[in-house]
Amino acid sequence: MIAFGILAIVALIGGIGVIVARQPVHSALFLIVNIVALAIFYIILSAEFLAAAQVIVYAGAIMVLFLFVVTLLTAGKDDEEAGEELSGQRITAGVLAILAGGGLAVVGVLYPSQRIQLGLPQNFGNLRGMGDVLWGPDFVYLAAVALMLLTAAVGIMVLNRPPRKKADPEARLKERES
Amino acid sequence: MAFALWPEYTIVLGIFATMLAIMIGSRERTIVGYWLALAALVASAIVTTVDWSSRVLPVSLFHQGVTVDAFSLVVDGLVLLAAVGALLIGWNDRRYGTDFPILLLVALLGMMVLGMANNFIVLFLGIELLSLPLYILAASHSPGVSGEAGLKYLLLGAFSSGILLFGLALLYGSSGTMVFTQLDPATMILPLAGAGLALTVVGLVFKLGIVPFHMWVPDVYEGSPMPVTTYMAFGTKVGAAAILLRFLFFGFSLSVDWWGPAIGYLAVLTMIVGNLLALAQKDLKRLLAYSGIANAGYVLVGIASHNMSGARALLFYLLVYGLAILAAFAILTFVAGERDSVSLNDLTGLVYRSPWLAAFLTIAMLSLAGIPLTGGFVGKFYLLQAAIYAGQPGLAIGLVVGAMVGLAAYVRPLQRAFAKPSGSESIEPIRWPIAGAIVLIVCVAGTIGLGVYPGPVVHIVNHSAAFYWLK
Repeated sequence: MIAFGILAIVALIGGIGVIVARQPVHSALFLIVNIVALAIFYIILSAEFLAAAQVIVYAGAIMVLFLFVVTLLTAGKDDEEAGEELSGQRITAGVLAILAGGGLAVVGVLYPSQRIQLGLPQNFGNLRGMGDVLWGPDFVYLAAVALMLLTAAVGIMVLNRPPRKKADPEARLKERES
Repeated sequence: MAFALWPEYTIVLGIFATMLAIMIGSRERTIVGYWLALAALVASAIVTTVDWSSRVLPVSLFHQGVTVDAFSLVVDGLVLLAAVGALLIGWNDRRYGTDFPILLLVALLGMMVLGMANNFIVLFLGIELLSLPLYILAASHSPGVSGEAGLKYLLLGAFSSGILLFGLALLYGSSGTMVFTQLDPATMILPLAGAGLALTVVGLVFKLGIVPFHMWVPDVYEGSPMPVTTYMAFGTKVGAAAILLRFLFFGFSLSVDWWGPAIGYLAVLTMIVGNLLALAQKDLKRLLAYSGIANAGYVLVGIASHNMSGARALLFYLLVYGLAILAAFAILTFVAGERDSVSLNDLTGLVYRSPWLAAFLTIAMLSLAGIPLTGGFVGKFYLLQAAIYAGQPGLAIGLVVGAMVGLAAYVRPLQRAFAKPSGSESIEPIRWPIAGAIVLIVCVAGTIGLGVYPGPVVHIVNHSAAFYWLK
């Protein structure tokens, strides 16, 4: 419980840091804090493989990519944010978010779920257990996720397609003005 | 090999065939993809029909992950109709690129999965399979407005998916099972289950576009290309309504008092606010977006009444709404021509430019408003009946008030269409692309047909929504 508390606070600090930090690089670093804290959560829940995958894939691969993109795109630019359209939006949203999150936390702490403490299945959390589930009874879900990733690849091609030559006149006018 | 899933397998095969054809084929011949997608849709529709007519008992597959029954097959039929309509409205239009049929088929697969989901994983997979292609399609047209629509849809959609996932996790924690039919409200840890249920329902009604969660709908509909908007207005709503009905009726049928009142209040709020906001719109896509919000409210009446008539009325209403909205969007596509938006002013004097289009627009709008002799009237009638049977007069009153406000909103475009042109509008005749014309004529005929002789379709939905535990 103590370990859970400490980790939860670290994860929260990471999460809040991501949105509060002014520099995008700092946001990315805070996100790594959050990801690593989540990985340790997985270890506490005896899901070792998931923890390792979390660190290798997210902290290792994706975040490095993030950092590259952030450094390349924001180098030498000032980080002024656009003003808000509705005043007080952030404060209202923040208060509501804290109320909702606090309420959920209170419910979760007062009424812990008991069904999960029935014991773990064999090979839970390690590579073998994951493989048995993903390539056994849940294979069809894996196939659906594969199809989803294929769609994402198609989407990247669609969105990066060079603009058509015969664009509509308004867009061309705007281009000329700028 | 599960034979019950042939409608879905056909679509998966169609996705791969379309992808390969586009990859191998030359850049110019984009029409192959459209034909292959259409072939897959027709094949899937045939398989669905055969399966529906020969199916006696529901089939449970993948450790009760999916349930194929008459309900899921009718949902398959509805989303297939939406996909065929959207594909034909955008038939071989250079503006939407070669990838439109692929993404349309993937989203269709998501909607079909939503129709038969029976556990949390399948529910979430269905929602994501449905959303991901639509995010891309919403942004596919041009970087300007369309990019904004895509980004807005992506951010809000991802946020609502997060809420949905949180709710599902809490429900799993409080019940210990992921299967809808094994959820037992009597043994759940109540506050945790309540929080989970609330978050899950919020995530689902976001996709449906119910009033406190409707802000994204008009912007996304306005910015997306016309066939994509058509598809979102019909297909997405069918998928989201189907999964909401399954989740609540299968999982929480024994504890109606947990969710019944909340869904009822949301329905009344949505019907009235959606129609009121539709009154003020000048852009026709936005008007139809708010009309879609209001119609999602009517659909919720079917769920909130929680009886067999409600489930039947929901399926029937989704069909008549879909036919009317397909017809309306086909007309908008014709009027828009090379552009991608239609304002009320563009409609002025439509009857002098093209009397048939004006007549069809009248039928579509009157069906959306619920005037007798159109399908919309019969659909609203059944919903009203379901609300009264359920002993919820508040729902019935809300529905009638919403319909009356809606009538005013739908009459405004008609008033413009029949007004005398002032001379400044374009008077060139409107082109009717063949594919779109087929959609338009079939939908108008269907709308009138369902209004005059709804018997056969009523028989089908009665049979399909007959869950044995409902009264």
